[in-house]
Amino acid sequence: MKDLENELRKALEHREPPPGFAERVLARIEPTAAPKPGWREALFAFFRWPRLGWTAALVAVCLLVALGAVHYHRAQRERAEGEAARKQVIEALHLASRKLNVTWKKVQETDRRPPRT
Amino acid sequence: MRIPTWMMSRIGPVLLFVLFASASALGQDPKLKINNLDKLASKAAEVVDVTLDEPMLKLASKFMAADEGGEDAEALELVKGLKGIYVKSFEFDKEGEYSQADLDAIRSQLTASSWSRMVGVISKREGEISEIYVMTESGGKRILGLAILAAEPKELTVVNIVGPIDIEKLSSLEGKMGIPKMGLEKDKKSKSSSGGQDAKK
Repeated sequence: MKDLENELRKALEHREPPPGFAERVLARIEPTAAPKPGWREALFAFFRWPRLGWTAALVAVCLLVALGAVHYHRAQRERAEGEAARKQVIEALHLASRKLNVTWKKVQETDRRPPRT
Repeated sequence: MRIPTWMMSRIGPVLLFVLFASASALGQDPKLKINNLDKLASKAAEVVDVTLDEPMLKLASKFMAADEGGEDAEALELVKGLKGIYVKSFEFDKEGEYSQADLDAIRSQLTASSWSRMVGVISKREGEISEIYVMTESGGKRILGLAILAAEPKELTVVNIVGPIDIEKLSSLEGKMGIPKMGLEKDKKSKSSSGGQDAKK
């Protein structure tokens, strides 16, 4: 019994590994790819600062640019319509004024005409 | 009896509509129906077709206001308060392109409703009609609309201005927009007498 114990003790006694053993073992281990995160992890990662801040800033800039473009387009269209309407008003008033004066003139000519005998 | 506010807010628009409808039914609408003349556009050598309702006039006013002190200033003064400007003017290459029925469709509106002829010259020899009609408020103090009908053998013009228009100012506008004045003496007495003489020949 004592022999068995001695044998076991001898077999299990602490021994220092040869120098460079740990490095060699680590070098042999193939670098394994990190496990792919699930969609939840990806989603949580997306909404984590600072990525969220940059995304928000980008979205804000895009929105501003889009709003600016829409506003500019609307203003341009309104300007064109306004200019056309202005021209039409001037043309219509000018024509009305001319016709009004022509009618006055005709009326005056009729008044001045000597009565037929 | 006091009418509750909620009832007033519901009845108000209905009353307004009824008033408007009855005014129109009584012939108080100064807007003429001139779309029947659209068919003449294909025959005409030159067409002026202006349809400006209140929102468009307001938009135009904004742009006219930008030209402060310029030639638009007088026009802007005239346009203020107007509800619409409608013009149809056709110049033809030859005579007889428009019919008497086209004219009658316009004149019937002017003679049958609350319009009154201010002045008018009808020359059967030359085939010309020049008439100015106004629609005024019941008291006759405020102009509600103006209509000018000018027909020549090769030209037909209908101008319909809806709203309070200053006719004197409108008349004096010519010459301030690049067109020389004709140097007319405006003698109101003669105008009104002519209107009476020539009316409804």
